Amino acid sequence: MKAGAVELGHASKVTQRGVNRGMSILDLFLRIIAIIATLGSAIAMGTTNETLPFFTQFVRFRAKYSDLPTFTFFVVANAIVSAYLVLSLGMSIFHIMRSRAQARLLMYTIFWEVAMMALLTAGASASAAIVYLAHKGNTKTNWFPICQQYDSFCHRTSGSLVGSFIGIIFFILLVLLSALALSRR
Amino acid sequence: MEKSESTKIDVVETNKERKGKAPLLGTAPVVAAAGAVEHAKGGANRGIAIFDLILRIAAFASALGAAVAMGTTEETLPFFTQFFQFEASYDDLPTFTFFVAAMAIVVAYLVLSVPFSIVCIVRPHAVVPRLLLIIFDTVIIALTTGAAGSSAAIVYLAHNGNQDANWLAICQQFGDFCQRVSGAVVAAFVTVVILIFLVVLSASALRRHR
Repeated sequence: MKAGAVELGHASKVTQRGVNRGMSILDLFLRIIAIIATLGSAIAMGTTNETLPFFTQFVRFRAKYSDLPTFTFFVVANAIVSAYLVLSLGMSIFHIMRSRAQARLLMYTIFWEVAMMALLTAGASASAAIVYLAHKGNTKTNWFPICQQYDSFCHRTSGSLVGSFIGIIFFILLVLLSALALSRR
Repeated sequence: MEKSESTKIDVVETNKERKGKAPLLGTAPVVAAAGAVEHAKGGANRGIAIFDLILRIAAFASALGAAVAMGTTEETLPFFTQFFQFEASYDDLPTFTFFVAAMAIVVAYLVLSVPFSIVCIVRPHAVVPRLLLIIFDTVIIALTTGAAGSSAAIVYLAHNGNQDANWLAICQQFGDFCQRVSGAVVAAFVTVVILIFLVVLSASALRRHR
């Protein structure tokens, strides 16, 4: 009877370790996809440069991301978040190696992940507001929709928002995984 | 003779009692120490949960202030032409409408999450309510930051305009409206900071749930 109970305890410990390892591998996988999404967003927005084919004697009609400070903030925020994700890849691999979850490390991970998610969301939402304005304009404030002239610039900026929002969703999933790992400890 | 029998029985009993007591005496301090540690962890968790409730109420006040400040904006300029009356209100800009709606959702969530917080105070070792709080708090952080960030972009435009896009800075005309709206955005960011602190608190409470 006693030997059977000990064996059962050993088996449940092994499956628990397996589930922990599975969660760490899923964590690594999510991080890699989030890196691709945020880095792609930063690059897509950072390489915008559209010059219209007509120009007057004084003004050259050109649109770049640095013309709007909000887009500059977007590029910087996405760059910071992808740098953080690359650095945290190492920590994620460490979690896979050491199957016993480190509680304090997990707590710091949750804090940094939430902070980075807030930064990413702020940049993405600010750029979304500007892109919406660029598409629709606003009659009350007399803001003209610039997308009607700068078509390719508009397409590029709208597309780069998608990667950022995917990154936000993946960050929420990462926080969920870390909280689960902390509670199963 | 009866006296001698009773004394013998007494001696035998005391020996047995001593043998029975010894192992109890050996394990009693260990059990008491483990119980004391658990009681201390429960005490710390309870303190964290009370602080969590207080912060939640503070975040509710801040989010309510942001929603009300943005929702009650209405400024009419004292001059008008024959066709237009110059007025500004939050529903002129769809981003501000989104801000009011999102802040209303955040206020409703914070009110609904107070019972969960109270459950965490009553049962300091409970895991499921804290886990639920962390997850939903994170999603609400994303929503609040989205509303605050987008409105901040519009407020920045309203203050500074943009030369390349030919967008005029409307704050120069609608001063009162601008101040109100900027204050609402600041209150929303304060809510975000409080919410982030709440998530870290819940995580640190989860850490010592055993």
